[in-house]
Amino acid sequence: MSNQDRTTVVILGAGKGGTALLELFTRLPGVEIAGIADQDASAPALQHASQLGIPITQDLVSLISLQGINLIVNVTGDPHLDLLVAAHKHPETEVLGGSASKVLWDFVQHASQIQSQLFQTEKLAGMGTFASGIAHDINNPLYILLAFAENILEETDDPRIHEQVRSIIEAGKRIQGICQNITRYARATNTDNAIAVEVNEKLDEALNIARYATTLQDLTIVKSFGEHVEVLVNPGELFQVLVNLMTNAIQAMEGKGTLTLSTSCENGVGKISIADTGSGIPTENLEKIFDPFFTTKPLGQGTGLGLHNVKTIIKKYRGELRVESKVGKGTTFSIELPRSPK
Amino acid sequence: MSESQTAGMFSGRESEGLVLVVDDESDVRKVVRMTLEKSGYDVVEAEDGEKAIEEIKKGENSILLNLIITDIRMPNMNGIDVINYYKKEWPSVPIIVLTGFPDVEMSTTMLQHGVSDYLVKPVESEKLRASVAKALEQREVRGF
Ligand SMILES: Nc1ncnc2c1ncn2[C@@H]1O[C@H](COP(=O)(O)OP(=O)(O)O)[C@@H](O)[C@H]1O
Ligand SMILES: [Mg+2]
Repeated sequence: MSNQDRTTVVILGAGKGGTALLELFTRLPGVEIAGIADQDASAPALQHASQLGIPITQDLVSLISLQGINLIVNVTGDPHLDLLVAAHKHPETEVLGGSASKVLWDFVQHASQIQSQLFQTEKLAGMGTFASGIAHDINNPLYILLAFAENILEETDDPRIHEQVRSIIEAGKRIQGICQNITRYARATNTDNAIAVEVNEKLDEALNIARYATTLQDLTIVKSFGEHVEVLVNPGELFQVLVNLMTNAIQAMEGKGTLTLSTSCENGVGKISIADTGSGIPTENLEKIFDPFFTTKPLGQGTGLGLHNVKTIIKKYRGELRVESKVGKGTTFSIELPRSPK
Repeated sequence: MSESQTAGMFSGRESEGLVLVVDDESDVRKVVRMTLEKSGYDVVEAEDGEKAIEEIKKGENSILLNLIITDIRMPNMNGIDVINYYKKEWPSVPIIVLTGFPDVEMSTTMLQHGVSDYLVKPVESEKLRASVAKALEQREVRGF
């Protein structure tokens, strides 16, 4: 029996739409799912529902004609089904079908994407605290190690010992560098004001982070840097832009190829370009790559937010962002940003 | 800087100054002591602020304390409280923070509170010595 503050619902269709609705409805306290049906026994939401203890069936009519149902949501996309529903449902049962259910389904998907975006941001913010905690715990013993090593250098003349201790110091400095990179990246999400930023330095810093994008690393890095290329931005945001572009480039080359980084300045404008010899972007995707959530990467690897963020940041500083690409040859992203007034 | 000057420091009886080193990790204190003693400073160690005050008062004349080098994350006190703690006891003694926290905001706050330097571990011996020398110099200009 239905009561007033609980809505009993059945879902017709267990594909993508059914999955999205199932997830939404199980989270809503006022909704009870009486069952889900799909003619295809292997439809994904059926399995999911049975794990949750929700009745599943391939016999749509039996579900449609159940008593005490307030609402039938039809996300099968099958126009004939509307007639079947109309013929078998109880007179007081309402039906959400056709484009109305499509809108609901779109909305649910959108909401879950926003949630994953928030999750991402939270994860980054959390990483800031985490990273500075780690940095502290590494830096103490690292200091002890490096300082004793330096002391040995000062206290002995034996060239063999000198050589070995120098290697210890170098290794220690590498750990220090990694530590600094992690904290710097974690901090990049905090925003402050625009200042004059030395672009070449930021490119080097960003490369240190982006290199971790793939495990296979057979990269040739070509740098063609102009002298004193400065732009007026928030350094953390520029860093984010560069890390995103380089990460994409390195991923597109699957760790193997040539990454060319160029900078220059002309008429008060700082120019940066990042070119790869990777997969390239098909023409039909060029329009879409800056859209939030557009990704061609497998789940867990791509968020589809990288280029969207890049575009947003460049726009904020009244800069230009361009892309040229050829499938199978590679891709070049170019940025122009106003140079700091000297 | 020059060889002869360094040698002079070693042979001379006179101390370059008394430095208090506060860190909860004994090897960190040992390393700082080693670095500074080579440049002719006298070093007193303590593992936290309270012990530091005890330690200095135990000595004959606590007036002779020239500089404090301290971590700001310690078991029973943290951050700016640590600085205020020393300021209350020894208002005119310069303080250098030596910490594992590479935190820009924290370092800005610290410098605003009159800390003379904010060094992040691992710090090179040369840099530590230079920072110590600068802190003591500034004090001479300001104080006496
Ligand atoms: N350098 C590149 N080479 C080839 N494809 C790219 C490149 N940069 C971006 N893309 C394409 O644009 C999509 C969106 O990129 P982005 O917004 O950074 O999201 P994500 O990297 O998470 O997929 C990528 O999934 C990829 O298909
Ligand atoms: Mg990306």
